[in-house]
Amino acid sequence: MADQTVAGVPGTLRYVAVGDRSSRARLVIFLLGVALVFTMLFSLASGASDASAVSVVRNWLFGATAGTDLMSIRDNIIVYDIRLPRVVLGALVGAALAVSGAVMQGLFRNPLADPGLIGVSAGASLGAVSVIVLGGTMLAPLTAIFGTFTLPLAAFVGGLVTTLVLYQVATRQGRTSVATMLLAGIALAALAMALTGVLIFMADDRQLRDLTFWQLGSLAGATWQKIGAVGPVIVAAMVSMPFLARGLNALALGEATASHLGISVQRLKYIAILSVSAAVGAAVAVSGGIGFVGIVVPHLLRLLIGPDNRYLLPASALLGAALLLLADSLARTIVAPAELPIGIVTALAGAPFFLWILLRKRGIIDL
Amino acid sequence: MIEARGVSVSIGRKCIVSDIDFEARPGEIATMVGPNGSGKTTFLKALSGEYAYSGRIAVNGNDLSDLAPAQAASVRAVLPQATSLSFPFTVREIVKLGLVGGRSGVSAGEAERLPERALAKVDLEGFAGRFYQELSGGEQQRVQLARVLCQVWAPVIDGQPRYLFLDEPVSSLDIKHQLIIMNIARDFAQRGGGVVAILHDLNLTAMFADRIYVMHRGNLAAAGTPSDVLKDNLIEEVFGCRLRVGALPAGNTPFVLPQSAL
Repeated sequence: MADQTVAGVPGTLRYVAVGDRSSRARLVIFLLGVALVFTMLFSLASGASDASAVSVVRNWLFGATAGTDLMSIRDNIIVYDIRLPRVVLGALVGAALAVSGAVMQGLFRNPLADPGLIGVSAGASLGAVSVIVLGGTMLAPLTAIFGTFTLPLAAFVGGLVTTLVLYQVATRQGRTSVATMLLAGIALAALAMALTGVLIFMADDRQLRDLTFWQLGSLAGATWQKIGAVGPVIVAAMVSMPFLARGLNALALGEATASHLGISVQRLKYIAILSVSAAVGAAVAVSGGIGFVGIVVPHLLRLLIGPDNRYLLPASALLGAALLLLADSLARTIVAPAELPIGIVTALAGAPFFLWILLRKRGIIDL
Repeated sequence: MIEARGVSVSIGRKCIVSDIDFEARPGEIATMVGPNGSGKTTFLKALSGEYAYSGRIAVNGNDLSDLAPAQAASVRAVLPQATSLSFPFTVREIVKLGLVGGRSGVSAGEAERLPERALAKVDLEGFAGRFYQELSGGEQQRVQLARVLCQVWAPVIDGQPRYLFLDEPVSSLDIKHQLIIMNIARDFAQRGGGVVAILHDLNLTAMFADRIYVMHRGNLAAAGTPSDVLKDNLIEEVFGCRLRVGALPAGNTPFVLPQSAL
């Protein structure tokens, strides 16, 4: 009865097994890809200005009227230099956050794990805030060398240092204890936040304003330069993640069983932690505190296609990118011509969702 | 053959098992029995490479400590006592994980249908689409066994025997499924593989074991064939309980032994 042949032709075409959700997962990934393309076009076309992306795209394609009149030059600038980098950055950040969430959850064998939870985001924030506050004084030599790259670099270093300290604390004789890691993550996050508090205390009025907006999370101020700085890091981390999928699947049965199945568990953990801290550090550097993407996206997808990471990771990247772009469109049109920080939008939608997961899972999983 | 010589395992400063000599031969079922906390599982975890140990363990002549996880996975599969799961996998997805790193020993086309065959073997035909978490404890145990069987489906590959490590494989099963599972183990051994099983049921042990290793307080109390080992005085010494081997219950009290299976 497990044998079902397509279109009733016995023993031909494709074998479809009961309990195998991979064909559904492939279909969902395809649809998400299509949805992402449409979301990107929609984001490109919408905004405070009435610049029409359609006319700009037409101009690119046919080159007919480009540069001939002032309106299309203005439209070109708005679409190509303001909206397009924002769309690309939003997609990169959304994908990075969602995939990092999915990988962390697989690693900790807990559907509620999130990079925000183990202090990676807090460490990255500390790095970024120290550049904002001390960039003109103590850290001036660094800013002189790295210029606009200083902020993303500092956030990345902050995230990485946190993760490495965490790993040292939680690993003994080559084994990482998840419970110790979660608790150490809470302690490190508290420490990073306290240090951030000290820096905020030292900040002047202008810096405070910068800080507040950065901490709330925003994709405003996206430039091709920023994309050049963090894009390669995020893409590199994302490329490594599909290689983790099989190992993370086996890890769902526990570390010992994963190892019995032939997975090098320590190496798997090491690559996962490094990729996640790189991706999260880069995302935090350019967009500040955008929360809940890493929890909401993988959870929704698990309901839809199941927990197989071979499909969950790419699907998370696509849905994370699309959802963040939608949230960003909302953030910049809801109070136009001003705009809400996107972190507020994701938190307003994500926090109730998180509570809903907790209520549904109460009694089923041990936290 | 799996050969352990002078194996000791310490956790922290406490020595859990000391100086065990053990052999698991292809074609045989080697069982470990002993009271709770006597070190059976700890020793099995040393054999499966999970715990650090002193002494020497060789699998088919190769030192265990030289084997990478993927190499070890291609010569032995391990059924743990219990497996908890934090994500909603279907039964088929769990069983298919058996094929993740090892070598099933069948062609790629056959491997596609191996989960169904393994499920049929453990009497779970038709369960492939169910969610693992919704099954009873005994059913979950059999799903895990099906996964383990996928990993070493062929008992012999390239002339090298492979092994099943089973930690209390029948602990939560009814008598019918106890017999089914033990017959799977026997069949695996008869086709050239080796089996190491921890059991608590002395009757099943007597019925299926080729060699019995009796653990007591971290030491090996006895080793040999069932008829050599299962003696009144040994059972009293190890289990602290005065029992007589082969004695029938007095009067008309009914009793049912697995050996009576037709």
